[in-house]
Amino acid sequence: MDDSPVPYEGPDALREPIVEALARVVDPEVALSIVDVGLVYGVTVTDAEVHVRLTMTSAACPVADMLADQVRDELAGVTPAGVAIRVELVWDPPWTPERMSEQARQFLQW
Amino acid sequence: MVSAALRALPLRRPLAVVLVALSLVGGLIGGLLRAGVALPVGGAAWVEPAIGQHAALLICGFLGSVIGFERAVAVRARPALLAPLLSAAAGLALLAGWNAAARAGFVVAALIFVAVNAVLVARQRAAHTVVLLLGALAWLLGNLAFWTGYQGPATLAWWFGFLVLTIAAERLEMTRLMRRRPGAWPLFGAIVALLLAGATLSCPSPDGGGALYGAALSGLALWLMRYDIARRTVTTQGLSRYMALALLGGYGWLLLAGAGWIGLSLGQPTRDLALHALAIGFVLSMVMAHAPVIAPAVLRIKVQFGWPFYLPLGLLHGSLVLRLVGGAFDGHLRATGALLNVAALALFACTMVGAAVSWRVMHRRDAGKPHGAGAAVVLPTGEREV
Repeated sequence: MDDSPVPYEGPDALREPIVEALARVVDPEVALSIVDVGLVYGVTVTDAEVHVRLTMTSAACPVADMLADQVRDELAGVTPAGVAIRVELVWDPPWTPERMSEQARQFLQW
Repeated sequence: MVSAALRALPLRRPLAVVLVALSLVGGLIGGLLRAGVALPVGGAAWVEPAIGQHAALLICGFLGSVIGFERAVAVRARPALLAPLLSAAAGLALLAGWNAAARAGFVVAALIFVAVNAVLVARQRAAHTVVLLLGALAWLLGNLAFWTGYQGPATLAWWFGFLVLTIAAERLEMTRLMRRRPGAWPLFGAIVALLLAGATLSCPSPDGGGALYGAALSGLALWLMRYDIARRTVTTQGLSRYMALALLGGYGWLLLAGAGWIGLSLGQPTRDLALHALAIGFVLSMVMAHAPVIAPAVLRIKVQFGWPFYLPLGLLHGSLVLRLVGGAFDGHLRATGALLNVAALALFACTMVGAAVSWRVMHRRDAGKPHGAGAAVVLPTGEREV
């Protein structure tokens, strides 16, 4: 674990493209990327797969699958061929506003 | 289990869409005939129930089912689909004239829906999930009143309570992203309590209950105008800005609807304002705001957002002004406004279809290009765990 917006484990060469790809997935309701809202709990890259742990702000949120699809689509563009992409929806620990980036807080007038 | 539940969804989807659409179309035709629009429907058997059960068709058969599907997708459990399938079928039964079956069907659908929301509360014990559950209970109470054949205003108060609490809960959840202002949360709780008190009182005392209910609606509108993230996202672009404008416009109508309920309790002729500023101005504007996001999630289609979405939204709000302001002086303006309300919904449906086609065209064109921002790729590998 580290302090960057997306806790990352894996080859250094893939860190930046993966974080950038995730930052292109935008929650239209808040006009912020899932990275800025703090919905990405972690990324683990091995030779076989990219594993993304993603949360939602609400358990009653029906767009979870859609955001997960977008994560897969964006990651497919930066992931080496043959590497599987696995998006896991996690609820523990629950999302809190403290997870939002400085930019997101500024935008939402914290 | 999760993926099994989602795999089961596509089989029922076309059937469900048709069922829900029948309630919508029946309810809208009934509404137009009520507003005095001459339609060439003749004396078909379904016309009388369409007129008489306008509210039940649209609130329970249409919106109750749409919200039920949305919640079923969120809860990711196959039995949750029973609630919207049953309420959609009950809407059809209502049009067919099978009154007793339809009313019982709505009660059972709401019972299942309450259970689904209780599961969500157990999964995430938070203010917004509790308010969603209160909304489900309001629907159940309204449906129980409808089932018993009770004729007073409490049925509508509970039905609208269901819609208003559902929307309020979803907005409350979004306000978690804004800094918490002292007093905002107790105030929200007080408004919800006032709404529930108004609906409860509307059975023994329609005037007193209606006044409290109206005060709660207007209070909620002011709360949302002050604390909703739409205030911030309206300064952005694209879909986010469109959603924010639809939300803020809806809050304006909610404020007026509250005044309409209060006016009605004081004997003023504000019934159309009370019911339709709420149903069309607030609820349907909210539906138009979220459909570009929710419909893809529920129906598993993708839509390309663009400026055409502003056309039905503008027509909805403009035609409501014509209906409620013009209609206060002239019955013909009211009928024309109502017809244009429905035209706005039809235009919106066309816009959604167009946006889905547009997405396909754009992404087919992108398919040959290297991967990059906005290029969607069908992923051959990868476990679909979510």
